[in-house]
Amino acid sequence: MGNVERVDKTLLLNEVVFYVRKDAALRDEWRNNLRGLANRFGLSTAEYEAVRDADVRRLLEMGVHQYLVPHILRLNFGVTNMTNDHPALTAYQRAFPQESRAAIGGSKWDRTER
Amino acid sequence: MAEIVAAVGTTHTPGLLGWFANAPEDQQHAATAAFKRLREHLVAAQPDVLIIFANDHLLNWPINNTPEYTVGIGDRHVGPADWYDQWLARTEKYEAPGRPVLARHIVNEGARRGMSFSFLREMQFDDGISVPLCYLNPDMRIQTIPITMNCSLPPIPTPRRAYEVGRIMRDILHSYPGDERVALIGSGGLSHEPGGPRYFYIDEEFDRRFLELLAQGDHEQLFAECTLERMEQAGSGGTAELIAWFVVLASTRGPAQVVDYLKSYAWRCASGWVIWPEVLP
Repeated sequence: MGNVERVDKTLLLNEVVFYVRKDAALRDEWRNNLRGLANRFGLSTAEYEAVRDADVRRLLEMGVHQYLVPHILRLNFGVTNMTNDHPALTAYQRAFPQESRAAIGGSKWDRTER
Repeated sequence: MAEIVAAVGTTHTPGLLGWFANAPEDQQHAATAAFKRLREHLVAAQPDVLIIFANDHLLNWPINNTPEYTVGIGDRHVGPADWYDQWLARTEKYEAPGRPVLARHIVNEGARRGMSFSFLREMQFDDGISVPLCYLNPDMRIQTIPITMNCSLPPIPTPRRAYEVGRIMRDILHSYPGDERVALIGSGGLSHEPGGPRYFYIDEEFDRRFLELLAQGDHEQLFAECTLERMEQAGSGGTAELIAWFVVLASTRGPAQVVDYLKSYAWRCASGWVIWPEVLP
């Protein structure tokens, strides 16, 4: 099976993101006081740092559901006009340059660092 | 007895609403034309109710409690959900009328047939329901029953399981005391891997074979080739949305008309549209 099987259903960050994205006050806190929000919800240091750094590869490896990784990036970088060169998508291109290049390499969206 | 009068399958990639204009113009025109074709087919069938099957992208239920199917039983459906509205460039909410009596019948008769449908009086909507609703029911005139599915959280149900649920659904509709005309819409796919390492990947070979098999109308061959494993290979966590099409497939007979296929990197998803001309009575 594919990447989706790598999810850790019990990872706390998966539940936190589920609720934060639905609540305007929590979204605001995420943007302005991520450390405080992470402490209050009990996220681990590794979870907090991966979110803070928008580290796509680390988030996936620790078991964040792949749907929720783009939500984390949208919380960090904004949610509108999600073209392939939006900061949330360039974060993916940096994390997985080979896979990204195979699909959109050479296109106007290509931001992979060769 | 409710009568199934139409069956279609459509992609629901959020780019179709949220960043539509970023695709090449020819793809924009093709997608618009494909939806128009499906809409005309639905209107001609004069349905009283649309039943839309689509993935719930971890929106309505948290990851610690995700049902296989959830029926929206409200008397109205308002979307997109907050947070998704800006993403889908739909800051003005739509409101579609529901069909609570039939929706509740589905839940209760499902239970009597061994099928556990969860339900929500107020369902939240992401791209899975919003895209087909906005394109196929743009004036929100036709009553709608949204049924969301788990297509992305392991264990993901197989195509054969979805087909079996489709057979149960047909039986449930037959048991309904009213004479509503019902159109079925399978929403999802084609190949894509949302949020995975291959976020930009499209598997054209899989997509074209899937559509070819639908056009041949050979359901057993579809089961043989378009397995969950093959869908995952074609784009993990996204391509398996096509099990929504398998739910609808169970109420069809014969070849599907493939309306169009687009390899749309701008929308990070292959897009496809089909009409099944012949539905089972």
